[in-house]
Amino acid sequence: MTKKEKKSFNQSLAEWKLFIYNPTTGEFLGRTAKSWGLILLFYLVFYGFLAALFSFTMWAMLQTLNDEVPKYRDQIPSPGLTVFPKPLTALEYSFTVSDPRSYQGYIEDLRKFLKPYDLEEQKNLTACPDGALFEQKGPIYGACQFPVALLQACSGVDDPEFGYSRGNPCVLVKMNRIIGLKPQGEPRIECISKSENTAALSTYPPNGLIDLKYFPYYGKKLHVSYLQPLVAVQVSFNATSSTVNEVTVECKIDGSPNLKNQDDRDKFLGRVVFKVTARA
Amino acid sequence: MGRWGTRGTVTPHEQNPSPRPRRESNTGKRRKTKRKKKKTDLEELKKEVVLEDHKLTLEELSAKYSVDLTMGLSPRRAQEILRQDGPNTLTPPPTTSKWFKFCKQLFSGFSILLWVGAILCFVAYGIQFHQKEEPTKDNLYLGIVLAAVVIITGCFSYYQEAKSSKIMESFRNMVPQQALVIRGGEKIQINVENVVVGDLVEVKGGDRIPADLRLISSQGCKVDNSSLTGESEPQTRSPEFTHENPLETHNICFFSTSCVEGTAQGIVIATGDSTVMGRIASLTSGLVVGKTPIAVEIEHFIHLITAVAIFFGVSFFGLSLILGYGWLESVIFLIGIIVANVPEGLLATVTVCLTLTAKRMAQKNCLVKNLEAVETLGSTSTICSDKTGTLTQNRMTVAHIWFDKTIYKADTSEEQTGDSSGMGKTFAKGSATWFILARIAGLCNRADFKAHQETLPIAKMSIHLQDDSNQTHVLMMKGAPERILEFCSSYLLKGVEYPMDDEMRNDFQKAYMELGGLGERVLGFCFLNLPSTFSKGFKFNTDEINFPMDNLCFVGLVSMIDPPRAAVPDAVGKCRSAGIKVIMVTGDHPITAKAIAKGVGIISEGNETAEDMAAQLQVPISQINTREAKACVVHGSDLKDMTAEQLDEILKNHTEIVFARTSPQQKLIIVEGCQRLGAIVAVTGDGVNDSPALKKADIGIAMGITGSDVSKQAANMILLDDNFASIVTGVEEGRLIFDNLKKSIAYTLTSNIPEITPFLLFIIANIPLPLGTITILCIDLGTDMVPAISLAYESAESDIMKRAPRNPRSDNLVNHRLIGMAYGQIGMIQALAGFFTYFVILAENGFKPSDLLGIRLNWEDRFFNDLEDSYGQQWTYEQRKVLEFTCHTAFFVSIVIAQWADLIICKTRHNSVFQQGMKNKILIFGIMEETFLAAFLSYTPGMDTALRMYPLKLSWWFCATPYSILIFVYDEIRKLIIRRHPGGWLERETYY
Repeated sequence: MTKKEKKSFNQSLAEWKLFIYNPTTGEFLGRTAKSWGLILLFYLVFYGFLAALFSFTMWAMLQTLNDEVPKYRDQIPSPGLTVFPKPLTALEYSFTVSDPRSYQGYIEDLRKFLKPYDLEEQKNLTACPDGALFEQKGPIYGACQFPVALLQACSGVDDPEFGYSRGNPCVLVKMNRIIGLKPQGEPRIECISKSENTAALSTYPPNGLIDLKYFPYYGKKLHVSYLQPLVAVQVSFNATSSTVNEVTVECKIDGSPNLKNQDDRDKFLGRVVFKVTARA
Repeated sequence: MGRWGTRGTVTPHEQNPSPRPRRESNTGKRRKTKRKKKKTDLEELKKEVVLEDHKLTLEELSAKYSVDLTMGLSPRRAQEILRQDGPNTLTPPPTTSKWFKFCKQLFSGFSILLWVGAILCFVAYGIQFHQKEEPTKDNLYLGIVLAAVVIITGCFSYYQEAKSSKIMESFRNMVPQQALVIRGGEKIQINVENVVVGDLVEVKGGDRIPADLRLISSQGCKVDNSSLTGESEPQTRSPEFTHENPLETHNICFFSTSCVEGTAQGIVIATGDSTVMGRIASLTSGLVVGKTPIAVEIEHFIHLITAVAIFFGVSFFGLSLILGYGWLESVIFLIGIIVANVPEGLLATVTVCLTLTAKRMAQKNCLVKNLEAVETLGSTSTICSDKTGTLTQNRMTVAHIWFDKTIYKADTSEEQTGDSSGMGKTFAKGSATWFILARIAGLCNRADFKAHQETLPIAKMSIHLQDDSNQTHVLMMKGAPERILEFCSSYLLKGVEYPMDDEMRNDFQKAYMELGGLGERVLGFCFLNLPSTFSKGFKFNTDEINFPMDNLCFVGLVSMIDPPRAAVPDAVGKCRSAGIKVIMVTGDHPITAKAIAKGVGIISEGNETAEDMAAQLQVPISQINTREAKACVVHGSDLKDMTAEQLDEILKNHTEIVFARTSPQQKLIIVEGCQRLGAIVAVTGDGVNDSPALKKADIGIAMGITGSDVSKQAANMILLDDNFASIVTGVEEGRLIFDNLKKSIAYTLTSNIPEITPFLLFIIANIPLPLGTITILCIDLGTDMVPAISLAYESAESDIMKRAPRNPRSDNLVNHRLIGMAYGQIGMIQALAGFFTYFVILAENGFKPSDLLGIRLNWEDRFFNDLEDSYGQQWTYEQRKVLEFTCHTAFFVSIVIAQWADLIICKTRHNSVFQQGMKNKILIFGIMEETFLAAFLSYTPGMDTALRMYPLKLSWWFCATPYSILIFVYDEIRKLIIRRHPGGWLERETYY
């Protein structure tokens, strides 16, 4: 075939104009008003029907769900560990001791977070026996008290600045909530400093113990005022004189055979690594 | 003429300084200007051959080529000319390099989009690499996968193309031919390529003519010009100038035709590309061939899909920037949208489908040279068929015999199995006249005879010894009937001689006219028992006749024709009912052409040409409204003077057309005319004269057995059995594959919607990503492939040979209805199936749909490891990512399950599946294969690390089934309504 002659710009523009609106046939974008009406009506009915069907199947599916416990829990067999407060970037706490504004955020977050742990708030909670799972049959599920005093130096009672103003910051370590999880053995959080001898770590409660009485968890709906057990880690730098102190801390769950603390892919399964940088 | 004379001893190529219309002889000039003026050259080539050499006297010829007509050129001079002109061979058609072809495969179609995707992946990876110490390698892997996809599909397409073009290589083996030239008075055998202009060449029966020759002497020379002109009969060649037209004059022999009998000497007037044959060959290779219809369709489709992909990609790239996503994230969305929009496996699927059809056609004796031509026959609306060798057997066969005043019909079928009893009269083999006639015909057939052209221009005569009679010699003669009759004074009737009377003459005239009117070549036969004075050993002298040549006894007439092949009339009929116009284009005479056209149904019974009508009504032709005549026979000489408009008029107004006496250039013009009218043209032919038309046609069909190399080179398809009927198979297969490709594409495109929508909702509704790029690739290149290919095996829904050929302008492979069906309707249902499964899995694991909206930012935050679900549980990043990838797997499985139903509904476009049946075993295999593949990808250990696909609970497989059933039910209802209300709104809007 011979090469098509290139259409001039005006010509193609005219063609486009005609396509957008053709006054002779009354066609708009290649269809007449009636044609547009019919096709739109068709799709309106069609999609309306589909939406109805989708809603119906979704509704039917939601009916099969239990409000209290999810159908499957096998995707989270073992809890992850997280730290609090949440640092701004990744998992690096960095602040300047002499500049209160640099750690103000952390302190406020901690205060807010520990609010439910106030003695006042815990008045209605059960004082459960230590060292045993607190299994309940319902219909009302009670929550065990977690006295904030267990966090000792990091409780914010004695030191409302959680050690930040002295360069010995507190970081809370907590275990993810999983419905029905019953740890075996004596679970505790063990933290070690990865950079040798630059800092001493103290954990509260002593040994980083997590009492079994906080397990199992019965879910948001049943276990309304459940308090998550916490472990606080306080970093005390050895050389207080140096201008910049840095330490990488790794915490993991230990002492419980059914709580994993090692996974190639999941760096937060039963362990957490964070870095603290304190400037003088 | 004086111009030629002045040239004297100068060689032709050193003169003629201006680029005047070239002659065949000024080879050197032509070669030099060839490249510069390629375009004008082609126009030149389309013009008729201009040649003057046949008009020259021998002296002028000798002077022009400075050659001695008995001694030939001197060997040194010949060497010089050879060095100047180059070898006497045809320049092979230019070939594109393999690398170029390969690169074309790599950068055509969707490849560009995928390359963009891959490059974006690498860019995104690079940015991530610089920004973070620990980048995810996902983008790197995806980029590599995308690049691999492009390269692999490119290699695949290239391999397929290379395989089919390899077939051609086998046709190229040209055996070096020898020629006998006289140089410096010595006869020497040289290779044909060393023959030069001016050489004195000698040819004899059986030789191929080594170059264009101007004969200077000949003895009973006949040449077969059928490959050049299409005439089946051997042509006499002698040194006389008999016709203005160089193609018809007796004193020119053409390169690559063959000498059938006799010997001749001639001067070479053109070699290689400047020969008439060479001109046709260069015209052929110089033609710019349009794209095949299927290539146009696929291009249209690619443009459509690319436009959709770019539209979605760009608008969502912009949207995500507006919504406040970062550049990097937006780029990653863009990659996802591109990957989801491009049906990566589709082009490979199309290639496989075409290959399968090509194989099927090869089994039915249609060899397809390039894959895309497979479909072309299906869209063909006009077939221009050569007569000789295609419609006919290319051998002169006795068709009718007239003796005892009766016309008998002879069996002309190829296998001699034709039932002749039904037509004409049964052979009176008992008649004594038949016995004598058969003996004359047998003995006069190239028996020992002397050329006698001075006195008996077209009569052949022989004198034989007769053993069984007292008269020793009998003179037998055959020739032009009217000349034969002149010699006769008696005639034979049932073995008894009667004196010639007017009644017999009338009968003879009637029979002669009748047979001649059938387009047959009529010969008369007579004999004379010579008196015994001519005893054994008598020296007959045909130059000075020393025996009686009058009062012969007339025996009968035999008429011969190149008969049509047996299967042709039926095949022409089938083409007709399939709405294909069959035009005969031949170099042969109009009467013969018309007779054959009538014989094979190209001019159907009851249809008359304007000339016939005029003859019937006995009015002059000018009074007939030519538009009333459906049939028409156009002579090449008329065609020469026609404008393009006039030709269009003829092609438009007549349904049954025969072009006779056409030159190769005119064949080309006819094809171009048909194409101008929007037809998709198939050309069949076997000769060199057909090759320009073969090349220009949308599909050129050459004959595998009788076809010349040049024609095979120019063609797209080769009929291995030379049978026109195979074309019908080709049309049928072509139409079937077009329908099935539509189905295949409809099937494949459907899964695009469930691939795109996850990204869109991911960006807009901020939900976790429901379907990842890897799983999209698993669908496009894994599960969708075999089912899509299996649709190529689907049988036709109705008699595809009863409907008109598709209109290439309006009946597209992919139209808005197909897109509407695939994207707007079935695709949407599939997407819902996927989303339903996705929501089910997330809800059953703790994330209720209402809590998912807007969760994306936290969900995607790698350091947010206590994300709370609807039940108060907390998830680490990796835990919810595993859940997300499980959703991807489930979404993928849902698409597979919805594609079951899609595959079944795509089996038919009009009929119900219950009418069509499930006979397609490959399709059932396809369904099983995609299911097993999905299960394999989900459950094989290690897939979690390799492809991030996770095992699913059994119940999640069934989430999509209601939607799958809905697809089936919806489409069955749709097709039912279409069947009930033909031409109704639903058909107009959804019948693809």
